[in-house]
Amino acid sequence: MRWIHAMSAAALVVGASAVARPAEASPTREQYRLFRALSIDLQGRIPLPDEIAAFERPGFDLDAWIDQRLQGPAYAERLRRVYLDALRLEVGPMFNFVSNPLVLRRARLVDPDGNPAYVYYRRGQRRDRVESDLDFCLSPDETGVTLTSNGQVSGTARPIDRAVWEARTVEVRPWWLYRDYRSASPAQRITAGDGSAMVLSPVANLLVNADNITPTTTVRVCREEAQTPARGAVYLSGRLTALPRTEPYPGGRVTAPPTDSAYARAHAGEMVSCTSGTGVSLSDDCGCGVGLERCMPGNSLGNDPAAFNLPDNVPLGADQPLDSRTQTQGDWSRFWWAQEAVHFLDDLFARDRDVRGLLNDRGTMVNGATAQFYRSFAGSTCCGNGTQFNYQEPAALFDPARVPADLTPHDIATWRRVDDRGPQAAGLLTTPIFLAKYGTRRARAHIVYNAFLCRQFVAENIALTPSTEPNLMVRSGCAACHATLEPLSAYFTRVSESGWTFLPVAAFPVLNPACATRGGNSPNGGCTSFYDPAFGSATQGMLRGAYGSTEHADEGPAGLARAVVDTPEFASCVAQNVSESFLGRSLTAEDQGLQETLVTALRTNGFRMRPLVRALVRADAYRNANNLASGAWREGSTP
Amino acid sequence: MKTTLQRAAAAVIFTLGCNSTPAPGAPAPAPVTPTVDAGAVTPRSTEITPTPVTAIPGHELIPQDRSPKEPPRLMPAETLIRSYIALFGGLSPQALQVRLRGATSDNLFDTWGDYLSALGVPDYSVDIPRAPQTNALMLAAFERIGVALCERAVQNDLRGAVALGDRVLFRFELPADARALTDEEFATRFDLLHRRVLGYPAALAPDSRAPRFRALYQGAVARHADAGTRSFNGPEAGWASVCEGLVRHPEFHLY
Repeated sequence: MRWIHAMSAAALVVGASAVARPAEASPTREQYRLFRALSIDLQGRIPLPDEIAAFERPGFDLDAWIDQRLQGPAYAERLRRVYLDALRLEVGPMFNFVSNPLVLRRARLVDPDGNPAYVYYRRGQRRDRVESDLDFCLSPDETGVTLTSNGQVSGTARPIDRAVWEARTVEVRPWWLYRDYRSASPAQRITAGDGSAMVLSPVANLLVNADNITPTTTVRVCREEAQTPARGAVYLSGRLTALPRTEPYPGGRVTAPPTDSAYARAHAGEMVSCTSGTGVSLSDDCGCGVGLERCMPGNSLGNDPAAFNLPDNVPLGADQPLDSRTQTQGDWSRFWWAQEAVHFLDDLFARDRDVRGLLNDRGTMVNGATAQFYRSFAGSTCCGNGTQFNYQEPAALFDPARVPADLTPHDIATWRRVDDRGPQAAGLLTTPIFLAKYGTRRARAHIVYNAFLCRQFVAENIALTPSTEPNLMVRSGCAACHATLEPLSAYFTRVSESGWTFLPVAAFPVLNPACATRGGNSPNGGCTSFYDPAFGSATQGMLRGAYGSTEHADEGPAGLARAVVDTPEFASCVAQNVSESFLGRSLTAEDQGLQETLVTALRTNGFRMRPLVRALVRADAYRNANNLASGAWREGSTP
Repeated sequence: MKTTLQRAAAAVIFTLGCNSTPAPGAPAPAPVTPTVDAGAVTPRSTEITPTPVTAIPGHELIPQDRSPKEPPRLMPAETLIRSYIALFGGLSPQALQVRLRGATSDNLFDTWGDYLSALGVPDYSVDIPRAPQTNALMLAAFERIGVALCERAVQNDLRGAVALGDRVLFRFELPADARALTDEEFATRFDLLHRRVLGYPAALAPDSRAPRFRALYQGAVARHADAGTRSFNGPEAGWASVCEGLVRHPEFHLY
């Protein structure tokens, strides 16, 4: 084996000049083949005629040509594909991102003049009228129609009383219609756009009024949704008990008016953030902000209404879409989450940053759409039962204060680097697309183990026997994998599953006496949302997912990043991922010398990828790649 | 893909097979009875002492090729699409789609979205990985988009009155009098296309390539000798066929 490695290493050295040819000699077929392969890998396409002509000229310097291509965007895209193929960072509609605090749906009514009109509202909006609290702002008695929670409409719309109309709704110039929506008098109305993902392009019927003819210049929205304060006071309705079902509900509403929660009763009047889901559910002061920028538009009452035109397929990049179609408001977020990962990787490889940044870079790339998400949308999924732990202000993985303030939702073609998202940020691991794609702690740990350590969990050949042992690190048949997996997944204890809500230590200690099991019973519902009764005791509860390692739980994803990049396997896994992609085959024992050379190139150059790729494309393994001809090596420099 | 272990195992099995083959006429070896110890069967040791190939008589000076031999790589689908676009003059994908669909209802090309899966483009959102190897559907898609490219290029370059420098693919002239091309005239034009699509001079290709493409060209010319105005004439059909042969050639898709 040692002899083989020595031979491979020698081949690498000799291979550096394998393509060199005498100044006046014409290229051989092998040299043409290599040039074409390099063009495919480093330019992302076959060579053009003028490039071939340049290659054929005497004195063509292939090494210089390679170095030049290693600076280009196609090189970055090539490496990006290596990691996107491994991580598959896109999510489809199965990841349902329909957050009620975000989505403005619209109802088609009849205005006081008898004309059809849309009114935008969001489900779950707090209002100070019993007829409409947590419901549409105009009651069925006022409109003639009933809007159910699943988007069904019943009844016949009738003209609404003008006083009610004016009192309960207002006109707004929203962000999806006006570029200068933050100004006092927005005037820069956007055009329809081309659906290219480079220009904001609302769906067609968001641009016309309910008559389907008149271009929309303002939208009518429920008064509460149009409010702009960043914070609101906890609302107390005074309703302590639910109305009996036998009693007609006020205003003809079909659902019972909400009652005040224990939290609301205890914290009435306290200020809460209007960008958190908890804030919206507690305060009737919380609206969608200036120009409705904290909300997404929808063209119907549906659960996930259409909002913008976007491409379905962008294999060549969002700037070169293959198509465009009407997409839902959820698609909008999912598309841009994925694009954040694309630009994160492109930036890392194009600028030749330390590849360990894949995991530990606290920065990221944002455009107008993702800036809006981090500023206004991300907190909408927080905090649920966290109020029991006095957690109603999200401790974000990406601190909204660090989002560039001048990026508006229209700046979707402008990508800008934010160097520090906050103390919890860790490369791709804390991006929404990673956390959405890999919803569970174990899924997150597994993909890191697989993509960045090139290792896989392989179950033992052992029968699974019935067991009540909750600790998978010791349960027979499970332990072989979970002894490793559980401590790794514990790093994600503080990031909610299927979401990005961070659970800070102050509110959620790993061991919490308040969530102790009581006489063998589970603790209360708030506790079981965050604490795992299976690992609790009579004295304290244990944060869900932390049992694999309480230390890892407190270190968070950044701790996992540190642990992974410090292992020797990380560098060899980078070399393996890249070389397998470039060679189009798995590495074998014969490639050990190549892999060691690439690892050395990576380590001695500050974990930057260009030296690694430069060494790879100059190696014999690449130059002779996949040449099945029996005499292939005899034409080259080896043996 | 075989691992080294698999290769080594195959070599061991092969060697064992050679060694265990009785010579003609030799008595069959006595069956081996496993040793028995207190009722338990003790397996025989399977350890084999490795012998370098050079120790085998007659192999001392034969060089060994230990480089991995694997099939050629498949061009990534994104690269294929970008190359395809480059062949057609570098339009945007959607503009090219419009050109490929054309004004007529000949259904030469549908939409990019209809071909992506067949071309092997991964769909990360549903965890469909990149297709690393060709398959029947992929070859059919290569054929389909290849035909669309070449037919539209013929219509644009050879049928339209387009200046030589503005042509997307066929950057050569046809004889004005529509006479048949000589072998030399064909070879010059074929070399241009060969370089453009496969990236190297036709002279370096296997010897049979130019004659076979010449025969392909002549066959298409003969079959279209009396074509009407709606169809390609002989030379147009001939060059379309040559182009289609090149853009679906394994050397185009593999590297």
